[in-house]
Amino acid sequence: MTRPVYLAGSGLVCARGCTPAAVADALLAGECAGSWRTLGSRRLPWFALPLADSDWEARAEQAVRRVGKALGPLDPATPLFVASSSFQVGLCESRPPPYELPIANASFSRRLADWLQLAGPRYSFSSACISGFSAIDAARSLIAAGQIDEAVVLGFELANTSTLAGFAALELLSSTAGKPFDRDRDGLVLGEAVAAIRLSATPTQWRIAALRTGLDVWSITGPDPSGAPIAGLFAECLADAGLAAGDIDLLKLQAAGSPGTDLAEANALRTVFGSALPPLLSLKPALGHTLGASGIAELTALLACLDLGAIPATAGFAHPDPEIGLQPTQQLCRQRVRHPLLNLVGFGGGLATLILART
Amino acid sequence: MIELAAAHSQQLTPGELPAAVRAALGKPLRRAPVLAQLAVLGALACLPADRRQRPTALLWQTTSGPRLETLELLDEVCQGSGEPMPFSFLATVPASAAVQLQPFVPGLRSASMLPLDSEGEGNWRLMLAMAANWLATGRYEQVLCAHLDHWADNLASHWLCLRCTDDGELPLASLRPAGDGDALPLADHPELPAGVAAWLASGELRPLRLLSPATPGLAVEFARP
Repeated sequence: MTRPVYLAGSGLVCARGCTPAAVADALLAGECAGSWRTLGSRRLPWFALPLADSDWEARAEQAVRRVGKALGPLDPATPLFVASSSFQVGLCESRPPPYELPIANASFSRRLADWLQLAGPRYSFSSACISGFSAIDAARSLIAAGQIDEAVVLGFELANTSTLAGFAALELLSSTAGKPFDRDRDGLVLGEAVAAIRLSATPTQWRIAALRTGLDVWSITGPDPSGAPIAGLFAECLADAGLAAGDIDLLKLQAAGSPGTDLAEANALRTVFGSALPPLLSLKPALGHTLGASGIAELTALLACLDLGAIPATAGFAHPDPEIGLQPTQQLCRQRVRHPLLNLVGFGGGLATLILART
Repeated sequence: MIELAAAHSQQLTPGELPAAVRAALGKPLRRAPVLAQLAVLGALACLPADRRQRPTALLWQTTSGPRLETLELLDEVCQGSGEPMPFSFLATVPASAAVQLQPFVPGLRSASMLPLDSEGEGNWRLMLAMAANWLATGRYEQVLCAHLDHWADNLASHWLCLRCTDDGELPLASLRPAGDGDALPLADHPELPAGVAAWLASGELRPLRLLSPATPGLAVEFARP
């Protein structure tokens, strides 16, 4: 048995707002302001949740409850799929040393389920930046096979110094802003997000046409500059969706402003789409790179924009890079999108591509 | 038909790991985190050389995750200079195990890491369901499902290899949706492959059934070929 899987609801709390509709309004208005975090002598741009509370756990609970409320009434037995790259690390940091971590790596998922008032099975995924799509992939697989009928997929990434410091130590962070595909791009800007989608076997406006995860083992910290593994995954995903490259009418890219990753992604785009590229969009200059939550946060934000019939401009782009030779959207565009493709290029070698179909 | 091609379990002390890696690879895995080294050892034990090129997915769960590495990182970052050594941070990113593994299993196409939220419990029923679904739709030829733990005094590595091929080789067992006939129960705990291996060795003819009370659709059973 295989059956279609649909997106049946969403919730989102991120730097741009506390509901998908508010986030869409902010994105379409071109808002992209962030804040700053200090790390030793460095001052780094940062995208924080717009919540007044400063206590880590209280912010987490507030964000998760808001997202749960946005999903609407849920059967408490609905399976929960959690995606995060850090789970409770920020909470541990907020307490005085010696630091304690729970014995079970993802024990914080139990708390997340309680806040969502879900008492069914819980499954957690931690595949760095592609965690969100890995979790959707699993939930979709079970729904498609008729093993479950509904699922909630939650992306959760809240502030922690360990991740920020780790990325800083690898010289992956921008000191100014995210500048996707820009000549002067100099790295990522990290941020927080809590986002959820509800997947269902019951038809809705959006169907998952294909989802594939892949690997690029060029290096742990960056993809093959040729973009060949990314291009291969695009092709695999298009074949799974039964679509040609020309059917894709919007590309939501990873494009976080990393010198190497942006170039690899651009080379993959040229390989698969040639010169007939649909609009290219990056949401990271406005939301930040929210790591394990990014797949679900950006999916939710994008759908909220598309449901308003608009593609937002990509913030942070000013100077074309001749080596990349591609430009993201630079102004809001009114367009009915039928087949958006969303791409993730993960830290640690993970790749993931998702294609949606408007029903 | 979904077939069980291998059931493998290994327990080591941390001090035994370097020798085990050298014995398997003929060289050390420099700079590779412990969980990545366990992934390489287990995958090579499950996959004969002639199967390592075939389209393969890896699903691995863990109770410990990179707990010890994360505690070291917390000390380094929060009580030290503020920025860790790069390899201290990389050791806390378990997803990178696939980068270490793929050179030895060139057919590896995808890897997902599933951290567990409760001690003593597994998510084998999810991994087996995903593996069976992927194999049934032709997405991969074989799927490795594993449980890996890195504790201070013990390393645990438990593996099942599932495949869907028609090369005529006799499988150890078949994997199918649970029926309602007589069967032996199988608990969803981290060491599940050891239970499967014991059943295989026992000659017991009844199927080995993994129930799933909360999600009945995920109940499966292993049956003799």
